[in-house]
Amino acid sequence: MLRLWIAVFVARLVGMLSRVSGRGGSSLPGIVARRIDPEVLRKLSVRLPKGVVLLTGTNGKTTTAAMAAFLLKAGGLRVVHNRAGANLILGLTATLVQASRCQVYPPADLALLETDEASIPKASEETHPKALMVTNFFRDQLDRYGELSTTVGLVKQGIAAMDADGWLLLNADDPQVAFLGEDYGRVVYFGLDLNGGDLGSLGQHDAVDARFCPRCGKPLVYRTQYYAHLGDYRCGHCGFVRPIPDWVVSEWDRQEGRITIRSARDTVALPIRMPGIYNVYNLLAAVALSGTLGAPLGPMGAQLETFEPAFGRMEKVIIQGHTVWLALVKNPVGFTQVLQAVGDSGGQRPKWALLVINDRYADGQDVSWLWDVDFERVHQAQHIERWWVSGVRAYDMALRLRYAGIPDHKVDVVQNPSDALEHMLHEAKADVPLYIMPTYTALLEIRQYLTQKGYTRHFREG
Amino acid sequence: MQKSGLQILHLYPNHMNLYGDRGNLIAIQHRALERGIPVEVVHAEPEAPISWRDVDLIFMGGGEDSHQARIAEDFLRRAPELTRALEDGVPMLAICGAYQLLGHYYRTVNGDKLPGIGFLDVTTEAGRPRAIGDVVAHTTLDITPRSLVGFENHGGRTFLGTGAVPLATVQLGQGNNGQDRTEGAMHKHAIGTYLHGSLLPKNPHLTDLLIRWAVDRDGNTDLEPIPMDLELKAHDVILSRC
Repeated sequence: MLRLWIAVFVARLVGMLSRVSGRGGSSLPGIVARRIDPEVLRKLSVRLPKGVVLLTGTNGKTTTAAMAAFLLKAGGLRVVHNRAGANLILGLTATLVQASRCQVYPPADLALLETDEASIPKASEETHPKALMVTNFFRDQLDRYGELSTTVGLVKQGIAAMDADGWLLLNADDPQVAFLGEDYGRVVYFGLDLNGGDLGSLGQHDAVDARFCPRCGKPLVYRTQYYAHLGDYRCGHCGFVRPIPDWVVSEWDRQEGRITIRSARDTVALPIRMPGIYNVYNLLAAVALSGTLGAPLGPMGAQLETFEPAFGRMEKVIIQGHTVWLALVKNPVGFTQVLQAVGDSGGQRPKWALLVINDRYADGQDVSWLWDVDFERVHQAQHIERWWVSGVRAYDMALRLRYAGIPDHKVDVVQNPSDALEHMLHEAKADVPLYIMPTYTALLEIRQYLTQKGYTRHFREG
Repeated sequence: MQKSGLQILHLYPNHMNLYGDRGNLIAIQHRALERGIPVEVVHAEPEAPISWRDVDLIFMGGGEDSHQARIAEDFLRRAPELTRALEDGVPMLAICGAYQLLGHYYRTVNGDKLPGIGFLDVTTEAGRPRAIGDVVAHTTLDITPRSLVGFENHGGRTFLGTGAVPLATVQLGQGNNGQDRTEGAMHKHAIGTYLHGSLLPKNPHLTDLLIRWAVDRDGNTDLEPIPMDLELKAHDVILSRC
């Protein structure tokens, strides 16, 4: 007990000092706490009445966790949850350690922790989660994680260490995710049940990830494909089929920005402000998770009217009268989806885009993935009139646009991101919506610049 | 002999498609079309019939181990036809896993030998840690500039036999095996390499060489010069890291 006490308070002090000295450093308190008491995460988790919930998957973690935490809090639960970027084991530890100022244990009913796939085995082993949610599996930064099958294996280890009564919440529309539920008793599936009319230009498939049966390895057959390998599939060879979802989006009104979600308990209509079908999945996942954990569905529609998107995830800021959207891009499917969403939002009006591509460790050092983004197909429909390209690998990006058939005169390369942003703001008419799509470290740079200039409220980010 | 249009054979696009392999095809298509050379890409998955006589250029990328295992048998079955085409001078770009499969064998950590078709006189041993990072290399091919840049990410260590000619000498990065500073291997017009990045978009001189070989196997036809300004700027970003 004394050891835990020292670990928690020393770590908090270190965290405070590091913030005062302006170093941010969200994992430092985690390092210190675990050095003093390696059992700290385990000991703090045990005292949460409703335990720990882990949320993982390639894309959508941050937005889904933010919405689920929002809905759970609105439903009356006390929730501690981590910020994006603090999703490795040290970040999770730091989050629980710093949940309170004066008590040792977090004054919360549950902890909702967005967790990097690679940290899942350890996080699960130390917290024995009461629920584990998997959003999707796409290729992501092969230079860091290796192959996709490695990632799937890590999540399987995490499932094995769950609480005996834990719920596994899985995206039914992603075959590799759904397959995780095959040998598990307490599974909640979520998925889409949309017809062509709701989908407009979507519903075609993009090129990257393999679509093979996770059970027998033969090609899957799709009745509907929403994006990438997400859809309603079955294997003609071994009979593996998409599970029937417990939580379903049965309607999506893209013009009005509303979706209808059906569950065994209820049917609710909810507002969805963020564009793009991937955000339909994020909202569905958040509702399924908070509903499963006991949040009432009835008031969710009114509650969501005030939801603000997470940091850099289709976040809207107003700069010098311009409407600017910030959307992180980090892997081919995610980037393609963000581009689709840009096309979806604001209708036929011309838009300008700023792409900022860095290749530091957190961005992925291999920029090959830009060639798997479907610029060829999506650029026609986006109504992007002018492209600004920036960052360490600006020329790779500009070349990608050229080879996708976007004429050179629509593309400007300005290597320094803040200069690029200033140029764009200077030249754009006030009624042209601007979309900034940065990689991870580029998002932090842009954010820091906006904060310095006083364009946005201060926002601490890992 | 010179042909009016090009047919590119893309082997196993659904299985062998690691990050950015597609970029290489996009680059070939772009630089051919800019010169008014029509391009048709034919995709071949396992068991698909291939009309080898019509093929002007072959591309094959890398894949996850499980995917590579699914195509290996089919690939070996096609060895006689593929070898004949390559001996005839059909150009091929084989990256990473495909490069290994053009060699004699890949020896796994357990000591199992997974056979390749042996067109390139190279062998590969499983190794650790993975070689990951930017690569700058100096090629012996007669192209300008002489530098090739890319990104490598491979566990295998490839060693060249006496019959193999290295594609390039490494100045930054590991290359074939991290020991002898060689990168890739060539024979006739077949090039095997570990370079992703994607390779061809930012090495337009190599793209043009492949197109030249595809248009005219004797290499006697000069291509119309087209701009490579942006391409070389992307190239120089990596070159400057050396």
